[in-house]
Amino acid sequence: MEKGASEPSPLDCARCGKPASLQCPKCAQLKLPREAAAFCSQDCFKAAWASHKSVHTKLDALTSQLSLEGWKYCLKKGRTRTLELPRFDWTGPLRPFPISKMRLVPDEIEKPDWALDGIPKIEPDSDLQKRVEIKTPEQIERMRETCRIAREVLDAGARIIKPGITTDEIDRVIHEETIARGGYPSPLNYHFFPKSCCTSVNEVICHGIPDARKLEDGDIVNVDVTVYYKGVHGDLNDTYFVGNVDEASKQLVRVTYECLEKAIAIVKPGVRFREVGEIISRHASMSGLSVVKSYCGHGIGELFHCAPNIPHYSRNKAVGIMKAGQTFTIEPMINTGIWRDRLWPDEWTAVTADGKRSAQFEHTLLVTETGVEVLTARLPSSPDVYPWLKPSSATSK
Amino acid sequence: MADDDDCPPLAVELPPQANFPPAPASSSNSISAPVGVTVITGYLGAGKSTLVNYILSAQHGKRIAVILNEFGEEIGVERAMINEGQGGALVEEWVELANGCVCCTVKHSLVQALEQLVQSKERMDHILLETTGLADPAPLVSILWLDDQLESSIRLDSIITVIDAKNFRQQIDEHTNSSSFPEAFHQIAFADVVILNKIDLVKDDLEDLERKIHDVNALVTVVRSVRCQVDLNTIFDRQAYGVKNSSQLQELLEYSKSVPPNSRHDSSISTLCISEQDSVDLAKVESWLEDLLWEKKSNMDIYRCKGVLHIHNSNQLHTLQAVREVYEVVPAREWSDKQSRMNKIVFIGRDLDISILQDSFSRCKH
Repeated sequence: MEKGASEPSPLDCARCGKPASLQCPKCAQLKLPREAAAFCSQDCFKAAWASHKSVHTKLDALTSQLSLEGWKYCLKKGRTRTLELPRFDWTGPLRPFPISKMRLVPDEIEKPDWALDGIPKIEPDSDLQKRVEIKTPEQIERMRETCRIAREVLDAGARIIKPGITTDEIDRVIHEETIARGGYPSPLNYHFFPKSCCTSVNEVICHGIPDARKLEDGDIVNVDVTVYYKGVHGDLNDTYFVGNVDEASKQLVRVTYECLEKAIAIVKPGVRFREVGEIISRHASMSGLSVVKSYCGHGIGELFHCAPNIPHYSRNKAVGIMKAGQTFTIEPMINTGIWRDRLWPDEWTAVTADGKRSAQFEHTLLVTETGVEVLTARLPSSPDVYPWLKPSSATSK
Repeated sequence: MADDDDCPPLAVELPPQANFPPAPASSSNSISAPVGVTVITGYLGAGKSTLVNYILSAQHGKRIAVILNEFGEEIGVERAMINEGQGGALVEEWVELANGCVCCTVKHSLVQALEQLVQSKERMDHILLETTGLADPAPLVSILWLDDQLESSIRLDSIITVIDAKNFRQQIDEHTNSSSFPEAFHQIAFADVVILNKIDLVKDDLEDLERKIHDVNALVTVVRSVRCQVDLNTIFDRQAYGVKNSSQLQELLEYSKSVPPNSRHDSSISTLCISEQDSVDLAKVESWLEDLLWEKKSNMDIYRCKGVLHIHNSNQLHTLQAVREVYEVVPAREWSDKQSRMNKIVFIGRDLDISILQDSFSRCKH
């Protein structure tokens, strides 16, 4: 990517490769990728028309249907919507698609304080941002229950994943399964986030917004679920395969899974939080992969995000030592290419700076007197989707 | 809708390429040196604004952005104003800090805003962050003192506090017989540089004032000024939080001031230094520090810590730096043959007890 405010590289004719000065008007109207729409002359354009025009029908049908139903692109963290695909120097093949209207949550469900206006009030000013809470047995019991519900909800979403399904449909399942159990989907309206879970496809690192895009054979997709139930949050995510994926993607997902597994293995009282990053970073680099540095694990409980901050990279200055009764997440994001990330115009979706794929796994953990309890652990009923896991093992992570 | 004709429409002109939100400089191949950020603290009337105005108007040829933040109790306000001095011209800009959502991000929104600022300009030599009556700069330091691994386009350069000499004199006199201490002491404790301003109003007292400043913080550099007209080279590029600053390492190694005779047992802020010839075990040192800074096992309130360590089994001189709980011990450079290896650690804080510090540290010996 070119540096700074300079223009993107000049476009070449999609048919012959010479420098282009014209574009297909239909593509311009539909905001389709410019690379396929640029032409050097009317003649080239005419000659290419027969095969080129199919690009329009695909998106034309989709967008007209969607905009009729009120689906639009997300901007400004969810505070606004737009009918047109935003302008951006996309780092990979993926593009945002319009999103559906915000889903509703029944009145009787207990909601966190951002549900109404999108702004958390208690969380930012809480003392729990500065010190790590030791949960009471009562709080721990609630967290066990909520985390188990979150696992059931994620599993339900995972079961519908296949080519042709949109991430919006996954979101709908997550949303409905959550409220059916009496919970609130924590991401919904958290700092205006427009959906009930995050769906991160391919080069998206995290915080992808469920939209109208259909999953394609060969994709990888992470689904990140947090449920708020009985006053506490439970947070987890898994990366899934869509249809048949290539070896590199399988490797990426497996190594990421192992990074989390190895990190969890060291959790016990007396271990420094900063050690987590060392473990993850070591395993990732041994496999030739990189670690995302902009996002970290976090404390969780009655607040969605609180102390401690747990970076996943090595040589960090994280403060604190694990103690029994603490609950927090570890959620490594591992990239095929470089570690750097960029933010999409929606101001949520984080993508790899080089457009290569990224995977993630997450658990909510409880430090016990002797070690760790994985509150969001896989259940015997969890879908058996990872070749490296023995099926129906209750203690498997 | 679907005019699915076999007859192509006329192609239209490609518009001139518009400006996308620029890819951050960090994604380019050449990584330029991170821009230094200086935090300026001090109270109203001390001359902070005078200093800032002087920095912006002086003909230094540097492009400097000044961020004015109303921190109040919290850090993370919504807007900051930027003044850029370009040999005289002041440009005002508004920078919107990312709206909340510290959630699971490593970088605070203030850091992200500063990075965006650096990336949006062709050239930025330095950034000044002016704080208004910020009581305790430590939280700001922990936000800005980023891990090297993040390869950020900004780095914390130093904390500068502006002290009004006349006012300071008065504060000291008022507090002489009380158990409390002047508020200015708190600012001094966390500073790397103190600009002692309005010296023209306090002519004969300067050495005593400077001594009082060094009693609180032995490592701070005091710069005297009238109307804040200082040599800008003493302000910028101090690398106070960099590992490799050799002049500071020298200073530490040579620091030999003994505990002042009137070592008080009041709750005043002071500086203490401990030293140890024998090599120490790195793991023990880290646990020792964590007991002091994280577990707070003593009654001491340690604000800052800076030192040189002689680590067992290493040819590298290690540096130690801490601001409240955030600390770092890293190898800095090879010990030179001419240097005798030793450990020297300077503490700045309240209720410091040198015997506790010395004894507990000596248990870190290999």
